[in-house]
Amino acid sequence: MDSLTALTFLPLVGALIVLAMPAAKEKAIRLVALATTLVVAVLGIATYLAFDGASAALQGTVEAAWFTLPYIGGGEGVPVHFRLGMDGLSVLMVGLTAVMMPIVILSTYGHIHTRVKEFFVWMLVMETGMLGVFLSMDLVLFYVFWEVSLVPLYFLVGIWGGANRLYATVKFFLYTVAGSLVMLVAIIALVHMTGSTDIGRLMEMASNTDIVSLENQSWMFFAFALAFAIKVPVIPFHTWLADAHTEAPTSGSVLLAGVLLKMGTYGLLRFAIGFFPMMALQNRELFMALGAIGIVYGALLAMAQTDIKRLVACSSVSHLGFVVMGMFALTETGLRGSVLQMVNHGLSTGLLFLLIGMIYERRHTRAIADFGGVALSMPIFAFFFIVSMLSSVGLPGLNGFVGEFMILLGSFEASPLWGTIGVTGVIFGAIYLLSATRRLLFGPLTRKENEELQDLNLREVGLMVPLVLLCVWIGFKPNDFLSELDGSIDALVVRIEAAETQLQLDETALFLDDSTPEPAVALVEAAQ
Amino acid sequence: MTFQSTQDAFDAAFSTAALPAVLPAVILSVGALLMLLIEIVPGARASRPIVVLATLVGALFANFTQLSDPAGPVLDGIYASTPETAIWGMLFAAGALLAWVYSIGYYGEKARPFLAEHDMLFLSAPAGMTLMVCSQDLLMFFVGLELLSLPLYARAAFRRERHDSVEAGLKYFLLGAFAAATYLFGASLLYLATGTISVMELKMMMGDTITTTPVFLAGAGLLVAGIFFKISVFPFHMWVPDVYEGSPTPVTTLMATGTKAAAFGFLIPISFLLPTEATGLIAAIALLTMAAGNLGALVQTNIKRMLAYSGVAHAGTILLVIAGYLASGRDDAIGEQALHAALFYLAAYLFTSTGSFGLLAMLERDGEDLTTMRGIRGLARRRPAVAAAMTLFMLSLGGIPATGGFFGKWFVFTVLVQEGMYGVAILGALMSVVALGYYLRVIVNLWMEPLDEADTGRVAPVTLPAGIATAVCALGVLVLGLMPGWFLDLLG
Repeated sequence: MDSLTALTFLPLVGALIVLAMPAAKEKAIRLVALATTLVVAVLGIATYLAFDGASAALQGTVEAAWFTLPYIGGGEGVPVHFRLGMDGLSVLMVGLTAVMMPIVILSTYGHIHTRVKEFFVWMLVMETGMLGVFLSMDLVLFYVFWEVSLVPLYFLVGIWGGANRLYATVKFFLYTVAGSLVMLVAIIALVHMTGSTDIGRLMEMASNTDIVSLENQSWMFFAFALAFAIKVPVIPFHTWLADAHTEAPTSGSVLLAGVLLKMGTYGLLRFAIGFFPMMALQNRELFMALGAIGIVYGALLAMAQTDIKRLVACSSVSHLGFVVMGMFALTETGLRGSVLQMVNHGLSTGLLFLLIGMIYERRHTRAIADFGGVALSMPIFAFFFIVSMLSSVGLPGLNGFVGEFMILLGSFEASPLWGTIGVTGVIFGAIYLLSATRRLLFGPLTRKENEELQDLNLREVGLMVPLVLLCVWIGFKPNDFLSELDGSIDALVVRIEAAETQLQLDETALFLDDSTPEPAVALVEAAQ
Repeated sequence: MTFQSTQDAFDAAFSTAALPAVLPAVILSVGALLMLLIEIVPGARASRPIVVLATLVGALFANFTQLSDPAGPVLDGIYASTPETAIWGMLFAAGALLAWVYSIGYYGEKARPFLAEHDMLFLSAPAGMTLMVCSQDLLMFFVGLELLSLPLYARAAFRRERHDSVEAGLKYFLLGAFAAATYLFGASLLYLATGTISVMELKMMMGDTITTTPVFLAGAGLLVAGIFFKISVFPFHMWVPDVYEGSPTPVTTLMATGTKAAAFGFLIPISFLLPTEATGLIAAIALLTMAAGNLGALVQTNIKRMLAYSGVAHAGTILLVIAGYLASGRDDAIGEQALHAALFYLAAYLFTSTGSFGLLAMLERDGEDLTTMRGIRGLARRRPAVAAAMTLFMLSLGGIPATGGFFGKWFVFTVLVQEGMYGVAILGALMSVVALGYYLRVIVNLWMEPLDEADTGRVAPVTLPAGIATAVCALGVLVLGLMPGWFLDLLG
């Protein structure tokens, strides 16, 4: 079997094995789940290393006929393929997913004690769903993975979540599905107009005004953007995130922050921008504004939180605002920065959720006011917390800095206004994260419970070390990772520039009328 | 046509070519009649299940042979066998078979003496449905409709000891009679306007000035309204929740799936009777039906009642294809596509709906309150397999991918999108979000709510037939969702 198919479906095989095991054998179930994700991680890293970043072409493609959509595409029907592939836009996401999963599985030793079997079945199904989303190169297949990946998280939050979990999980599901269904209509329309479901070919056809008129491109762009914006989430669709994050079990939050939200930003990049670069250009200001507002608003929300988990959830909104703003700057630096920042956010927020989970397992509270002086009783915990927090704040030398810096640089090129507003987010971020850290870790030990806290054990340290190392690695040598993007981002930038020229020509064409001299008309037409 | 003698006329109408076309309906009718004989032949009672199974499997097979080599119009053009009718027929036989399996043991000891009658009434339903979709004649359809409906009225009231069952039967009968009268009035007006009741001849007249006369339009409108009653389209949907809830659950199963499928199987091919100007009206009715069904379902605590409202919403979704067909200016190719979209949608709906009603029938035997949202709380802990199947059915009803419900929705929306009706498609898609609101509630109660400790005593075992039927339904849902090509290939 080829590597991408194996990568995508190995977790599902693991899920089926777990399903067949007796529920009482919890230890064995955990081991099977861990082993499965470790194999997938090794495979994922191997595919990552084999990836040639200089090329824009799809790599490791797998293609097999699935079925034919009847009627559309001029009556002949459109063949739908089981088609997987990887390019610079997805390679980092695939690597991130593969690396995060064993860590998430390891983290559950601390907090998942009921219905263990079901939990790992859903966990493994989730991994197949996420990898499927990032690797699908057929639009129908993508949509199937996209929606199917909702179901495991729905169960993970709904069964193993906190007190208010049912509200949170249903809200998460309905919000996401509402956007997805609008996108579905756009997908059907796009397949109908182009007669293809191949994402690679659609990239060329969707922005061709002879095939898809500008009006249609416009509503489709918004339909796609809506679905992904809800997933990210972009302001004003962010309200589901705080609830879902807060109520989810630690492992669910880590997954949500680490990988799932990236499905939204990835979708914006590949589909909203990749399919409709002209529309992205036309709406550049709008989305940059939404990103910038998200940065500031998320930070303000975070400042007001008394629950440390909710605080990190709100900081997610702020960080993802950066990603969206950088992406819609539509400049090379901005695009590269935002892809890198997707990984950074996954690492640093994932780490923070892991740490919060660890302290919650010990104290069963997440209220910041209940802590203070924890650094005295848990020095190792304090060390990791500070590193993660600084990575999240964007301290030079850690990963967050590189991403945010590139995004801001890219944004200034496109729009100084929103770039400036974005910068304030960095300051706000430092304020709320530093102040939360101070209240949590430092000061006197005022409570007896906090004095008796056990510091992190070997397993807990072990599962954070790889993530921290990655943070430092990206911080010092970002080019090791950014070079993977070269080919694909360059190709995307070329397409965006072509779209810009096209738009300018269209504008010029509007001024042509009967009074325009013949040679001028001919010139414009030739250029078009 | 003029014939020399009655013999010639008879020969022309009843050629041997007609036999394979009508065979499915004949098998079902013979099976139903045998049921009556079984009652009076001593010692034959034990063979009751065998006859039912043989009849339904025979009908399934007879339809299957028509799939590759359909006979086309026969019997002087009042009856036609096409690949589509063959698939409808197979669906009816399969749906009836599944519903019948779920009815085993449902009625308890009191009903034992009447089981042969029950099965006789049961078998006449697929016979009626087959006639409905195969008919090429307005009266032929009516015969099929009554053959389906009259036994269903009786079966709705089959649990005579229960007040709500009798009420359901009476309600269904009165409203059904009203619908039948509306249909017949419409058909007679059409005859008045055109002088024919043949679907093919009516179709050939389209474009004539006759077809724009008020009499014709009134006839077409009333005819369609009569069918709208049967498929529970807004504003004719009010009877659905009471009747579905009160009827014995295996009967509800057939009502929800088969009746709807058969009525759509005839309605879509004859929707050319409607003027193209009705596009907006039909789209609005479809959306209102979805809204009425979904909003009604949202507030239900009884799952059977919730599924009844959800059935209304699904009828609205399918109705959208007719709006798409009319928007195309009654293009034949789009008409065929609309029919195929509805076929796929209803095939998926048949498996999901039969499965979920069937599971409810099983739970009902444990005690009535188990079919409420409260009653199924924590069911996953006691019967994980039942809960898993129910979850799959709910996700399919909600149109989540990897289930048949998703591609059903895909094909329906394709018809709309092709005609540029993006707004209607998006509104329809958003209705599904509302629908997921209540489907998710079922899943929440099954898996996420804590088990009510007092309930642990009531765990009746899943019977083997019900288990097999559920597995078949689940498999059907998954195959349609993962390998839609297999079904699409049947359509050619």
